[in-house]
Amino acid sequence: MNSNLFVIVDATFKDNLEQLTLHRMPGALPFAGKYRLIDFTLSNIKNSQITNVAIFPYGNYRSLQDHVGSGKKWDLDRRRDGLFILPPKNLYIAPDEMITFQRMYEHIEFFKRSSQDYAVVTSANIVWNIDFYECLDYHLKNDADITEVMYKNIRLKTFIISKKLLIEYIMTYATLEYRTMSELVEKTPNLKVVIYKHQNYTRTITDTFNYLKSNLDMLRFDIGSSIFTPDRPIYSKEKTSPPARYLKNAVIENSMISSGCIVDGTVINSVIARDVTIKEGAIVKNSFIMSNSIIEEKSELNYTILDKQTIVKNNTHIEGTLKHPYVTQKEQLVSSFEDLRVLLVASESYPFIKTGGLADVIGSLSRNLGRQGVDTTVILPLYKKIRDTFFESLKYEFSKTVVYNEIKHKIRVHRYQYKKAKYYFIDNFAFFNYEEVYGYENDADRFAFFNKAVVEMLDDLKPFDLVHVNDWHTALIPILIDNSPHKGLKTLLTIHNIDYQGIANSNVIKKLGITNFVFKSDKINFLEIGINTATKLSTVSPTYKEELKYEYYGKNLTYSLLNREREFYGILNGISSSFNPTEDKAIKTNYSIENFENKIDNKLYLQEKMGLVIDKNKFIIGMVTRIVEQKGFDLILNSFDELLSNNKEIQFVLLGAGDKKYISELEKLAQRHPEQIKLNIGYDATKPNYIYAGADVFLMPSRFEPCGLGQMISLRYGTLPIVRRTGGLNDTVFKYDHITKKGNGFTFNNYDANEMKSTIENAYDLYKTNKKDWNKLIERAMRSDNSLVKSTQKYIEFYNVIVKN
Amino acid sequence: MKKRIVAMVLVGGRGTRLGNITKSTAKPAVTFGGKYRLVDFVLSNLSNSGISTIGLITQYEPYELLSYIEHGSTWDLDVNEGGISFLTPYTSMDGEVWQKGTAHAINQHFRFIDQFNPDFVLILAGDHVYKMDYNGMINKHIKSNADCTIATFKVEGDKSHFGILEMDEGNKITKFIEKPKNASSDLASMGIYVFNKKVLKELLDIVEDGKNDFGKDIIPLALTRNLKVCGYEFSGYFRDVGTIKSLYEANMDLLDNPQLLKIQDYNNFPVFTKSVNLPPHHIVKSNKISNSMISDGCLIYGEIIHSIISSEVIVKEGSIIKDSIIHPKVKIGKNCYIENAIIIKGSVVLANTTLKFTETTVVDNDFLWKTGENNE
Repeated sequence: MNSNLFVIVDATFKDNLEQLTLHRMPGALPFAGKYRLIDFTLSNIKNSQITNVAIFPYGNYRSLQDHVGSGKKWDLDRRRDGLFILPPKNLYIAPDEMITFQRMYEHIEFFKRSSQDYAVVTSANIVWNIDFYECLDYHLKNDADITEVMYKNIRLKTFIISKKLLIEYIMTYATLEYRTMSELVEKTPNLKVVIYKHQNYTRTITDTFNYLKSNLDMLRFDIGSSIFTPDRPIYSKEKTSPPARYLKNAVIENSMISSGCIVDGTVINSVIARDVTIKEGAIVKNSFIMSNSIIEEKSELNYTILDKQTIVKNNTHIEGTLKHPYVTQKEQLVSSFEDLRVLLVASESYPFIKTGGLADVIGSLSRNLGRQGVDTTVILPLYKKIRDTFFESLKYEFSKTVVYNEIKHKIRVHRYQYKKAKYYFIDNFAFFNYEEVYGYENDADRFAFFNKAVVEMLDDLKPFDLVHVNDWHTALIPILIDNSPHKGLKTLLTIHNIDYQGIANSNVIKKLGITNFVFKSDKINFLEIGINTATKLSTVSPTYKEELKYEYYGKNLTYSLLNREREFYGILNGISSSFNPTEDKAIKTNYSIENFENKIDNKLYLQEKMGLVIDKNKFIIGMVTRIVEQKGFDLILNSFDELLSNNKEIQFVLLGAGDKKYISELEKLAQRHPEQIKLNIGYDATKPNYIYAGADVFLMPSRFEPCGLGQMISLRYGTLPIVRRTGGLNDTVFKYDHITKKGNGFTFNNYDANEMKSTIENAYDLYKTNKKDWNKLIERAMRSDNSLVKSTQKYIEFYNVIVKN
Repeated sequence: MKKRIVAMVLVGGRGTRLGNITKSTAKPAVTFGGKYRLVDFVLSNLSNSGISTIGLITQYEPYELLSYIEHGSTWDLDVNEGGISFLTPYTSMDGEVWQKGTAHAINQHFRFIDQFNPDFVLILAGDHVYKMDYNGMINKHIKSNADCTIATFKVEGDKSHFGILEMDEGNKITKFIEKPKNASSDLASMGIYVFNKKVLKELLDIVEDGKNDFGKDIIPLALTRNLKVCGYEFSGYFRDVGTIKSLYEANMDLLDNPQLLKIQDYNNFPVFTKSVNLPPHHIVKSNKISNSMISDGCLIYGEIIHSIISSEVIVKEGSIIKDSIIHPKVKIGKNCYIENAIIIKGSVVLANTTLKFTETTVVDNDFLWKTGENNE
């Protein structure tokens, strides 16, 4: 058969599958017991008798290569055409929403060489059963330029386009304002775009929720039989395990169980992959268990995803939810974490001492870990400020001496029970009794001493399973542990801010009494030493973790981080449930997702309070931020004159403190638009909520943003974020898609004033012209879940990965 | 192209004692253990032993077997030089040449062996259940400087179906009797032989016309000519599943004594079987599933007790399957009771049927129609 279609399989895209895609691409994820996600697309290709296929992977595509092989399973080992895996030129290119024209240009030869007239651009993460020729027929009948394939309201990132037109776009990618097929269709520059609606069950797998849900969907007979049809089978690389064995205690209800399993426990409403052992008394419910996992006696699992070769020890109870399944990592050992004992060490923690976001994170993490059953201890230096406010309530525990620079220093250790977390404060006048937390010439000595004191204290405390250290101030703890009797104790270093690294004179090492250190220069870098020596590393969002592989973000530490890539994770922070427009006393009128029309009161109040024209039809852009370069003020200063002159209905309010240079520029800008801009300079962190509640949109055009909390708060208050797609912003804000009406805000890609300006204008345009969609966006924004409970659960999962491996 | 070893696998047997199971298929293509066919064992053994020049000698109902084996890619035997060749009976200047026995069949295809000019010829059967690395036997053969080596196993119970042999301390066979009435030893031939190619050729050339069998004719001939015939003791699980009873028992060993064949332990020594592109089986609702094996693509609503269910079997609500072996694509309607049966491929058991046997019985559509008539 002379096929007239060739296929581009996109495996470059970004996902939210957490540790499941840490060492594999989404296309290589196991599905429905014995398949991998990409099997569905490849089988559709085979069943459509298409023989010219290119897969575009990113990063580490070994598992994909391994699975796909020569493509023989899908009849793609052809003499003419066949299967091509076309790797990226730059291995560390950050994944995008979908494959870009630029990425295709890297392999333009493939497109030119293909003899077929039409191309299917599709994705490796779709579960479906479709005949691509039906799409082509539809495309031809409608005389379309581009046909987008959708299922109900789900965009599948699948398109039909003529080879000629596709090559045109690829060749001119550098001059186009759209980078991908999706963007092209959204902007439709004089093209006839038609939508082909596929009728049968289809899902794209992008996060752990829809991954688990679609697996469990296969248990519904109507769905399962529309995917696994005898006429159009799904092909997969076969292993060679024997049929599943049921022993005498097996109880099974509505479950799919693959070859090689040995079942002696209870399995309810679950999908079990190959070679899984479920022992007597174990109960598995609503879960997806990947191959070679072992679930021991009397364990109970509910809503969990066990990655390959996970071992669940006996009597372990794991409970996730459909929305947030409990996810393990490959080869992990899981046992009940009630006995997990964690030591958190940081330079600050709220409510004891706070200079920035780190204190909030540590304070709330310690509280929530305790609440979720982890035995949590925190150690802080006893700063003057803590002494002044808390000394009365501290309980003296013990004293000891710590040698630093060959001098014996006495420390006194005090204890304080903060909710369920135990806090210890190290008291030493010479090192810690300062007015401020940071900013002294001897900061390096102060924190080096703190690190040493913490490690010495390990002798006096009940043993820990894990020491979690944060930023440069505590980054020497791993190397000190390695040089102590506690060697082998697992450590996790979380990088909250890579800008501060603790660069100091190398004699600090000698002062600490470390003798076997290899010096690279006469300076040492606290953070770098931490990166090289901690058991595992993390940072505060998955996207920032990817970005740190570039020098643009990772700076001088890029290379050290790349070396530890396999041990490096991104875990998003969350915000406390106290951010809540339903109960917030600081805002004018409370509102919830059911009655967010009341939000308008807060808008009028904000206008009144800031001295703006009071008019509910105006469009208020809010910002609450430190005023520093990182936060994108160059973009604002370069585009707001034009934006505000062209759109007199736009108002801009800013609350913040920071860099004098920017503040004076902002003040000048405000003077040029006195009716439209109101500034509130002088940061008061406790009272920004009238902006979160009153503005229409919340602007964060950051150049980089490791995690960012502002966008999470504004989402919860139904104030739509407009953000640059970087770091945690990219993990929490999803752009409005006018085709599916999905998303929870607005995003732009490049650090570019014009892009930001046109994104704001697009948002304003939607606000003016389509209240229905706007309100839907508000609803979606308020539904976004960035809770602390969720992020704490991620940390606990991760702690388990570290401790149990 | 010279090859060190050529394996000749005899897969032509009808297996008359298996009754209707082999009505329309050769014995090596018979379903075993849910997802296997008997021939999977010998082909997997060859693959695991790194022997990839193989002649498969077929005769009886070859179609299903041929289409099952194809190029042998299932067993990684689709290599460029050698691989699997199907050797079928043919007509020639001398007339039609149907195989008259095992030795005759080999002799008939000796040209196939000659083209590879091998040092050793390994002779195997396609209907044995066992996992064996042939290199152990071949190495032993070379070390003992033997002309022929016979693989042996210890028989328990009735020995009258086997070739029984006695060995001296150097493993040299001193006595060999095919199917003796009163056996003097419990060592039996597995019907697996390694010959030096030259020796085999000579023996086949000089054996009298009408003497066509390895066990009955060639081995005794070798012994009388004082050739060095050695025994190789195989200690693993081995079953020649020639009868319904032995086929049933070997299947049930997988359930009751999984430690014998260790089919679950496939990382080092996999038993390959052709993939069927089916989703995992789905147990929709079941009161009880115990001591059973269930294969891909099944849909189970009923109770399965101590049974082996092959792929794409449907068991509807209220049905109970006990002590039975169900072959692929069997459909069992509601409220049936099945005990001690082997239901063969594609059979349809209508609702409310009871098939309860005291002795294992093979059931196919013909059988079911007859029972249906009787019931009316």
